[in-house]
Amino acid sequence: MREKILLVATLALITSASASAADLTLKFWDNQQTESGLSQYQQEAVKSFEAANPGIHVEVTTVPYPEYQQRLLTAVQGGNAPDVSTIDQIWVAAFAQAGAIEPLDDQAKTAGITSDAFFPGAWASANYGSHLWGVPFNVDVWSFSFYNADLLKAANVDPESLATFEGLKAAGAKLTTNGKFGLGLFAHKGEDTVVVLDSFIFSNGGKVLNDDGSCGLTSAPSIGALKYLQSIAPYAPKGVANADSGSMRELFLNGSLAVEFWPALEQPTLQKSKLNWDFVDGTAPEGKKPVGTYGGWNLVVYKSSPNKEAAWKFIQFLTRPDVNGKVVDLIPANVKAADAFLRANRKGPDRILAQLNNAAPRPLSPRYLEVSDIEVTLAQDVYGGMDASEAAAKACKAIDALK
Amino acid sequence: MLKRDRWLSWVFLAPAMILVGVLMYYPMIGTVIESLHSTSFINPKPQFVGLDLYRRVFASSEFSAIVWNSCVWTIGVVLLQNTLGFLTALLLNQRLPTTGLMRSLILLPWVLPGVVGAILWRFMYDPQLGLINSFLIRLGLTDQGPAWLAGASTAMAASIIAAVWKGFPFSTVVYLAALQNVDQEQIEAAIMDGAGRLRRLLYVVLPAMREVIVTNLLLTTILTFNYFDMIWVLTRGGPQNATHIFPTKIYELGFGQFRFGEAATYGVFSIVVLALLLALYFLVQHSAVRRLVSAR
Repeated sequence: MREKILLVATLALITSASASAADLTLKFWDNQQTESGLSQYQQEAVKSFEAANPGIHVEVTTVPYPEYQQRLLTAVQGGNAPDVSTIDQIWVAAFAQAGAIEPLDDQAKTAGITSDAFFPGAWASANYGSHLWGVPFNVDVWSFSFYNADLLKAANVDPESLATFEGLKAAGAKLTTNGKFGLGLFAHKGEDTVVVLDSFIFSNGGKVLNDDGSCGLTSAPSIGALKYLQSIAPYAPKGVANADSGSMRELFLNGSLAVEFWPALEQPTLQKSKLNWDFVDGTAPEGKKPVGTYGGWNLVVYKSSPNKEAAWKFIQFLTRPDVNGKVVDLIPANVKAADAFLRANRKGPDRILAQLNNAAPRPLSPRYLEVSDIEVTLAQDVYGGMDASEAAAKACKAIDALK
Repeated sequence: MLKRDRWLSWVFLAPAMILVGVLMYYPMIGTVIESLHSTSFINPKPQFVGLDLYRRVFASSEFSAIVWNSCVWTIGVVLLQNTLGFLTALLLNQRLPTTGLMRSLILLPWVLPGVVGAILWRFMYDPQLGLINSFLIRLGLTDQGPAWLAGASTAMAASIIAAVWKGFPFSTVVYLAALQNVDQEQIEAAIMDGAGRLRRLLYVVLPAMREVIVTNLLLTTILTFNYFDMIWVLTRGGPQNATHIFPTKIYELGFGQFRFGEAATYGVFSIVVLALLLALYFLVQHSAVRRLVSAR
């Protein structure tokens, strides 16, 4: 009897030892931008990944969006980075330059992951310095012009007119009356200010950074966009310099604001409201197509990860057309997944797809966060009444000094 | 003191010293070292640059604006908070029917978490939906009401008012305790000499509270200089950097832009200012103790 017990115990020890040698825990971090129950969806998807990949256990950490940058940065700096995480498109260059993440060119090539599976701007945002540093995970575009159809009807404004610079301005003038406001502009210190500013600059043919990395804000199209924004500022609610997209949403939802600028992720909020709303794909000068600014997140593998192979497997799984739509709270970056997701969850899927295919990423620079801060000051200067050329020159001086 | 007792005292002191050393002095020294190196997220290997970062920071117009903003912010909040706190303490020191309830209610802003208080004020300052503009419009003082936090000329004043509301109960509690310790015999003697309320306040109460007032002024100066959440939630240092102070700038550089070297440079300047204020605080404490001892 004693021998039997010993034999069983020895076998149990051997089995557990071999199991723990094969098992690994993959740490995955993501952030949550909406109240969609993202964490729960991801946990469910993870179960099917684990079932298909015995020996790999995935630990999902979902951090609220406002805390994500600080938590992730502290972890990376402290040598406690996860194995795989989402990072904002605008951090890719900095993370790559810092040597924090792995280039994924070879893995992508071997796995047959190519640009045509993703939206062009999203794929571009994952590339820096002739290397691929991540795989696009989710995307959205700033901005769509969401409008209150009842307010537009009452002011006799054709919604389609919002799609042109001239039409938007005329609509703003008509809609700003009787305590109501026409256009939800904002310029607080935040990235939402920058993406909306960029979309007006891009749509007018301007650039933030030229191809050689120098500042492009003093070009005629860029200054033209700034002048245009200044000219429509009187139709915005008071306090543009400290207003954010959230405060414009409040005014839009209570019926005081006719047009707000938001990405498609605004739709679930509007669907819950009693507003009669719709949207147009951004705004551009007559005869030009609106160019939105990409927002979104890419999946990356950290250099410090001891589980790079498993991390890559997990990235491939999360960006698969049949999975991608189930694990994001923005729009899936995979084109096929996005198509299905938009048709099931969003109003005007074709219009959104058209915007996604025509949007541009923000400048891919390791100093982007400083460029962004300079752009916020530029927006505040412009809305504050400073001459647009002077404000652009001031911004360019600061941007070019970063070199 | 016996040799054994001396050893024992070191043993008891050691945990506290280790904690203070690890949690306070180690990061502080690290900050000073980091400020002498060019280091950021994208250049993680620190490069020794001596005082270059200091030269660059001091030469920037932003630095002078932050020094100015920090002075206006700190002086404004400290003076208003202490004045309001003292006046409230005087009121609560009276024997009124609801004094007990008022003493408890007055603490409400102070016990609220900083971020909650700041969000509350952000709502109240909202140009369109805020309580303050709605009140002004009802009184007929304005048609629309100003955008308090969006104007470079009003944002700092608005932030100061919010901070004073949040912090004055602290001063009230301290001054109330001090008022209740003023020697009643001296007050009665002053009354017998024919001194009115104002004279009693100026010549009996205030001198008796001198140390407490100075200590409270210094403490609130230190706390206000380091106050982060109110301004961060209200304006994030904007508009056009009109409300940027040292803590918000350090956070923005370090965690917003990953520029650790420059953030450390601003941090060292902060440490120097706070060290001077602390030295002043200890000096006041020391002289108060000496006065007490000599009075005995």
